[in-house]
Amino acid sequence: MSNTAKFKLSTLAVLAAALMSSVTAAQAAVTVLGWPGGSEETALRAVVDDYNGQANVADADKVELLFFSRDGFYDKLQADMAAGSDAFDLNLLATYAIGRYAPYMEPVDLGPDAVTTFGDSVLKTMQFDGKQYGVPTDLSLHFMYYRKDLVAALMADDAAKAKYAEISEKYLGKKLEPKDPNDWTWDDWAATALYFSKDVNAESPVRYGTVLQMKNLLFNMMVFQSLPRSYGGDWMDASGAITVDSDAYRTGLEMYKMLYDAGASPRDSLSYEYAETNAAFGSGQTATALQWNAAAGELTDPEKSPAVADNVGIVAPPAGPDGRADHIHGLGLGLNKNAKNKEGAIKFLKWMATESAALDYAKNGGSPALAPAVVAKIAAERPDLVQLGQFADAYGYVMTGGTSAKALSVYELQAKEFTGYWSGQQTLDEALARTKAGMEELLK
Amino acid sequence: MNSIKNLDWKLLNTPLVVFLLLFLGFPVIVNLYYSLSEVSFQTLRAPELTGFGNYLTVLTDPAFWQASWFSLRFGVVTAVAECALGLCLAIFLAPLIEKHSALMAPLMLPLMVAPAMVGLMYRLVLHEFVGPVPYYLYEWFGNSPSFLNAESAFWTLSVVETLQWTPFAFLLFYMAYEAIPDEVRQAAQIDGAGPFQRLFYIDLPLMAPTLIIAAFIRFIDGFRVFDNVYTLTGSGPGGSTTSLPIYIYEAFFKQGAIGKAVAASVVLFLASFSVLFGLNWLSGRRKGATK
Repeated sequence: MSNTAKFKLSTLAVLAAALMSSVTAAQAAVTVLGWPGGSEETALRAVVDDYNGQANVADADKVELLFFSRDGFYDKLQADMAAGSDAFDLNLLATYAIGRYAPYMEPVDLGPDAVTTFGDSVLKTMQFDGKQYGVPTDLSLHFMYYRKDLVAALMADDAAKAKYAEISEKYLGKKLEPKDPNDWTWDDWAATALYFSKDVNAESPVRYGTVLQMKNLLFNMMVFQSLPRSYGGDWMDASGAITVDSDAYRTGLEMYKMLYDAGASPRDSLSYEYAETNAAFGSGQTATALQWNAAAGELTDPEKSPAVADNVGIVAPPAGPDGRADHIHGLGLGLNKNAKNKEGAIKFLKWMATESAALDYAKNGGSPALAPAVVAKIAAERPDLVQLGQFADAYGYVMTGGTSAKALSVYELQAKEFTGYWSGQQTLDEALARTKAGMEELLK
Repeated sequence: MNSIKNLDWKLLNTPLVVFLLLFLGFPVIVNLYYSLSEVSFQTLRAPELTGFGNYLTVLTDPAFWQASWFSLRFGVVTAVAECALGLCLAIFLAPLIEKHSALMAPLMLPLMVAPAMVGLMYRLVLHEFVGPVPYYLYEWFGNSPSFLNAESAFWTLSVVETLQWTPFAFLLFYMAYEAIPDEVRQAAQIDGAGPFQRLFYIDLPLMAPTLIIAAFIRFIDGFRVFDNVYTLTGSGPGGSTTSLPIYIYEAFFKQGAIGKAVAASVVLFLASFSVLFGLNWLSGRRKGATK
């Protein structure tokens, strides 16, 4: 063999070895598939940097992040997991999708720190069939946002109160007086929304009394759900019978339709979701909005929402005959059954369950639901997390059947049928009958 | 000699045949099998053969027919609108573009934008509180209509689609218009034909094959619309803006009803194939008649 040939061969061997070692290193890293965009991605990036910067984290266990787009995220995740993908070790997990993804995941033991950091009720948002499938990162529920200046002016003006009573009698069949939003029932909220709508009250200082998220989208059904729930609504009873065709759901659906038809919500509300709702409320032309807690940062930031930021009040969703109800929905990270680096992945999950990591995540914009003793340590910086914990503790609920494998499909079904009713394409009876039949098929 | 040529022909065709078998034949067989099976994401690798139940489910599902009607209407309305506008633009702008060919570039810009981006863009443009269209309507008329409620969403979506794809029809028609020899028009003019007579008896008949092909391509594109509709209105209130591809997508991913979704796509494939076969047959008859 000539020298040139020897040189070529040895160069090739060195290159091959380098390639192999880089592949091994890449395989050894822990890859996390996170929830893209928004505060969740920002917070996750920050805590991952902190984790990777620790001296006791081996190079082989450093965390790398991977993001899909939000559109169709759960569908893409399901397709990947069903195909046995090992492109990520840890993946996003949501309360209402645990049953759907559990067959492709492995339960994890988060260690004793987890209970101290989050508390039992929050850990349960990541459990399925009694097993812990992930570490909770963010808790989502809904706040009732309202304009403090508008409500204060209404409550201080006798003529306005008389008009309010007149409107509530016309639309709700009873004379109501304006109340502090902390004491609102759904009727009080509806009367306020009607009063502040130009189509109902030409003197209203804003165009609309509320902004309803009515797009045919599963997340909008989560926002709506708390209304029927506070009237005693549920998906199924103890025997497993579907109970969606109930007075509670009828009341909620009719109230939304009445408000939309009366012009209390923007005309394009049937295409509205999270972003549109923020834009409507942030424009200063809307008096109230039932919206995700994640919007609090944007709506109270004078730079992002200059028209309203100084006057935004936040309370829990209004009460019904069964009290208040707030739909909780947890996001977290869980272990892929086909993970290539399970040991490293579990190490990261356990670290995420520690108090310091959870506080780090919260400081960087995440919305973890923390145990009272832990949240107290960050209350000055993140007062919204205190409300988050309080509301979750006092009013949080999950519908019966809400963590089953077909829970997301139930929301999809409701979104289709309920928006069909709100848009006038079918009657309430038809919408509820179809929803009931579909849910019986999905939850049998 | 003939047998050598025959062998060459077979050898030359082999890559194409292998490609078609791999990338079309295999998925078709898998799809057919899935469409006759009970299959979900959990049983993706072990589907259970059940017969024609999925086809029955699809064909008796009112939502399937609602989606088919939406796709058909959308395909026809947008194809007609795009071709009509494209033809007008091609004829009226031809003298101008002949002198300033650079004008063609800005006219083609809408084609450069991904349809999903167009949907997102109009979601912003039409938003009552941040969109420029409602803003100016409020400024000028004190009010703005609903663009995306159940009644108006179809027409809004049609306008959005037409605005994006009219340049495509325009491009084809402009090329066809320019390909007509000037001598023919001049001869007609000498014979006393006026502008409208030249348009209806010279230009349009000579452009007819391009007109038909463009209308057909635009109809197919409109019929299978997904991206911009999905990003702008989703499947719409009560499923009112569900096109057939959206119906299939939702059955597959949202409901996890893989058998039903695949059966619907097989029905769509058969319908499309029938239309193509019919057109081919008509074209064959036309050729035969002109010989």
